[in-house]
Amino acid sequence: MSEKIKHGPFWTAFFAIVSLAWIFPLALVLINSFKKKIYISTDTFSLPTGKEFAGLFNYTDGIEKTDFIQSFGWSLLITIGAVLVILLCTSMCAWWIVRVNNWVAKTIYLLFLLNMIVPFQMVMFPLSKMADMLSLNTPWGLCLVYLGFGAGLPVFIFTGVIKSIPQEIEEAAMIDGASTMRTYFTIVVPMMRSSIISVAILQTMWIWNDYLLPYLTLDMQRFKTIPIAIQYLRGGYGSVDMGALMACLVLAIIPIVIFFAFCQKYIIQGITAGAVKG
Amino acid sequence: MRNKNWMLKAVSVISVAALSLTALSACGSGGNAESENGRVYYLNKKAEEQESWVKLGEAFEKETGIPVEIQVGGNDYDATLRSELAKSSAPTLFQADGPSFMSSYMKYAKDLSDSDIYGQLTDNYKDRALTNDEGKPVAIPYATESYGIIYNKALLQEYFDASWSTVKSIEEINNFDTLKTVADEIQNHKDDIGGGVKGAFSSAGLDSTSAFRYNFHLPSVPLYYEYVDDDVDMNKVPSSVKGTYVEQMKNIFDLYITDATVEPSALSGKTMDDSIAEFATGQAVFFQDGVWVYNQIKDQEVADEDLGVLPIYIGVDGEENQGLNQVISNYWCVNSQVSEKDQEATEQFLNWLVTSDTAREVISQDMGLVAPFKGFDEEQYQVDNPLVNANREYQEAGKTDVVSVPTVSHQWEQDLGSAELNYAQGTGSWDDVIKVFTDNWASEYALAYGE
Amino acid sequence: MITMTGRVIKRWWPMFALPTCFAFVLGFVVPLVMGIYLSFTEFTTITDSEWVGLKNYRRALQDPDFLHALLFTVAFTIVTTILINVAAFFVAYMFTKAMRGAKLFRSVFFMPNLIGGIVLGYIWQLLLNGVLAHWDISLTYHAKYGFVGMVIMVCWQQIGYMMVIYIAGLQNVPGDVMEAAAVDGATPRQVLFRITIPLMMPSITVCSFLTVTNGFKLFDQNLALTNGAPSDTSEMLALNIYRTFYGRAGFEGVGQAKAVMFFVLVALIAVIQNKITTSKEVQA
Repeated sequence: MSEKIKHGPFWTAFFAIVSLAWIFPLALVLINSFKKKIYISTDTFSLPTGKEFAGLFNYTDGIEKTDFIQSFGWSLLITIGAVLVILLCTSMCAWWIVRVNNWVAKTIYLLFLLNMIVPFQMVMFPLSKMADMLSLNTPWGLCLVYLGFGAGLPVFIFTGVIKSIPQEIEEAAMIDGASTMRTYFTIVVPMMRSSIISVAILQTMWIWNDYLLPYLTLDMQRFKTIPIAIQYLRGGYGSVDMGALMACLVLAIIPIVIFFAFCQKYIIQGITAGAVKG
Repeated sequence: MRNKNWMLKAVSVISVAALSLTALSACGSGGNAESENGRVYYLNKKAEEQESWVKLGEAFEKETGIPVEIQVGGNDYDATLRSELAKSSAPTLFQADGPSFMSSYMKYAKDLSDSDIYGQLTDNYKDRALTNDEGKPVAIPYATESYGIIYNKALLQEYFDASWSTVKSIEEINNFDTLKTVADEIQNHKDDIGGGVKGAFSSAGLDSTSAFRYNFHLPSVPLYYEYVDDDVDMNKVPSSVKGTYVEQMKNIFDLYITDATVEPSALSGKTMDDSIAEFATGQAVFFQDGVWVYNQIKDQEVADEDLGVLPIYIGVDGEENQGLNQVISNYWCVNSQVSEKDQEATEQFLNWLVTSDTAREVISQDMGLVAPFKGFDEEQYQVDNPLVNANREYQEAGKTDVVSVPTVSHQWEQDLGSAELNYAQGTGSWDDVIKVFTDNWASEYALAYGE
Repeated sequence: MITMTGRVIKRWWPMFALPTCFAFVLGFVVPLVMGIYLSFTEFTTITDSEWVGLKNYRRALQDPDFLHALLFTVAFTIVTTILINVAAFFVAYMFTKAMRGAKLFRSVFFMPNLIGGIVLGYIWQLLLNGVLAHWDISLTYHAKYGFVGMVIMVCWQQIGYMMVIYIAGLQNVPGDVMEAAAVDGATPRQVLFRITIPLMMPSITVCSFLTVTNGFKLFDQNLALTNGAPSDTSEMLALNIYRTFYGRAGFEGVGQAKAVMFFVLVALIAVIQNKITTSKEVQA
């Protein structure tokens, strides 16, 4: 697009102000995380000075109350595990569907399309029951559940890409004596690189933040993810520990900011690619 | 290019490893801690007691080797229990809070008539256990609690001593009208008391997590008087109520929301925590709550000797003789659907809770629960806190206990709380409250017990 | 029709297709079929179901809270779809032109997307309750505050996401078409409405679809921000279904029936969106 039309300093100033407003909610949580809990809801907008200052107490308290470190570990494990499994399995499946392309493959493909439009509430009860009966109530089992329930979109994106890959290249490789696996990993996968990143980003964002599926499926006694741990702070009988809550919110946001800082380029690419195809 | 290949290989190796792990876990089912001695999993309802239960669980585990897991039920105990019971490692021990709650979990509740824990109940509480259709005990009451209007003696003394006060001693406050005079005057002179309080009553928080003080504790007063009038069995849930004294309930409720630390419009977002904080830091003189709240008040700004409790007066004839409300809303149930071993282990745990020295000490002294078991009759296991003592004094003075009768369902309580909130905010009328009180009782009865 | 690669890898199905399909059957196909079946039964676990016909659907439709949640959700979806898309398009439009700091602003706008619904809900609960405290009320005073609160929160979250998609779309609009128009004497406004927006239709459809579905499926944010208070009046469909299921014994079947209706609704929207997209493509 032509660069002739330029915006003046007015718009820079305008967006600078809007951006500050955009960050404000996060800053507010950070500020309040250093306040004693009884002042958080009464003096939300004041700085934590004097008798309101709680130091790092909210953090130590929150980490202890929620087992935050453990939850963080489980969240990380589940996200990485599930995303890797999804990437590998669905991309292979997509290749099979496109290249085989008989009625079986077509039916399977249609089912995957259906999967994209089914809201989780539709299957939540039978799914969580089955997951429990089959002892999939562990982080590893959850990876399998995610592969099953979350397969639609990745398969859809991957089939779209594979359809655009000319078959001749694969055939040439096979004629040269490359095995099927070798052809797949050395020829097909590199050509899907950008869509793999795209799917990885989309699935990571979903799984890392997902609340209901792990809440209903996981064995709560042993495994809690970060969203579950945070929701648990709002306990029964009117006890909402605002101090610990604020600290945990900050702790939950920090890894996201780091992730974003390092992978911004890929995230934006991923979303664009995912959206244009979706 | 070489580099990339290497990376791809690494990724695929990791993925295959991850996949096989999932596959393994899918096959190798039963990874649960299925110990030889069974297991105990207690889904606890009260967040404020969680620490103590965990401590007891660890002590029991150390003594017997039976693994004990204590989880707190979170925001919505009913929902958590329902989803947890559906899992294979279901709670072996759960809590009920009354007959209506019990009725929806009846098939999970083990008949405890031959159990040690039932035998340990003191005789006058044996018939307070909740029963199933055959009349067998399935839920054991483990704590009797009293509640009323907790007040700050030091602040109230300042009021009595003030030149402008009409009421001059605590003995005079034995009916609603006097209480109203006191509260109104304190509210009007709030800057003159304790260097400035924010209101006579702490905020009547009606956030959904906290509304139980007004949708369960408060309505039990009018219900009690109605049951007395009509000779209704207080252990059962009648199919309908008349709401004879709901109009009187409005008296006290109006007082709670007008002579208060906050505007009525703010109540929807206020929690019991806010309310406790206000009372414990001396910003309010009165506070409707019960013995369980002592642990959260102590060691703050209100000294133990300054804690007193008044009955909840609503303006009924003869209320001069009224004592505090007595509520049993904590029962233990053993899950009948878990393995025999787990049930045995759980019963053993329960018995240990009411007989061992460690547990009796923690339950009576740390948690401050008045437990209706034989083992707690000994002097050193009597609960000693100012709120429990206040109740004992009322009983010794011959005042009549107000029995907090069970309500028809939690839905009824929630609906009542909503109606009260709307009334407080000015978005609804008291007529709506009356309507919920009586009409919804009947419809909820039909839903819960009908058919 | 089948190609050489196809013939070769067809035999490899246990390696390529089976893992995904196995998980898919387990995690989706069976639960879906079972879910539809269960909606016609009364059950407390999946093994004790008892056929009751359409009773659950009747009860679901008689539930005033469900209908309220439906209206609430529809209103919410319409408002957020319009606000988010207009704002995101505007921001994207501004950012594709040269501007000092555009890159930084873009990152700032995008960031909230990575934060999960539960965390978001509590962040905004703090902020909005803090603001409302000036008038001595809180978010749960009336459903309209919950509504506005959720609209603000969701806009804050999703404007950045849609912005990214719009920016990509704008960058694909060929510059020479616009230049030609400008040379022909078209005003910037005419260029925007006559050329840019029509050319942007694919992106606009995608973004509207995403915002509509997100609006309908909203759950975490609703749970954390208001949890339906006061009196379930700020409850949206997904939360209503969840609470019907787990809130009360004896209502599991009703919850499942509601879920089926919810599914049909969401599927309908998807089909409509698909129709619009394909018809647009034919025109282009």
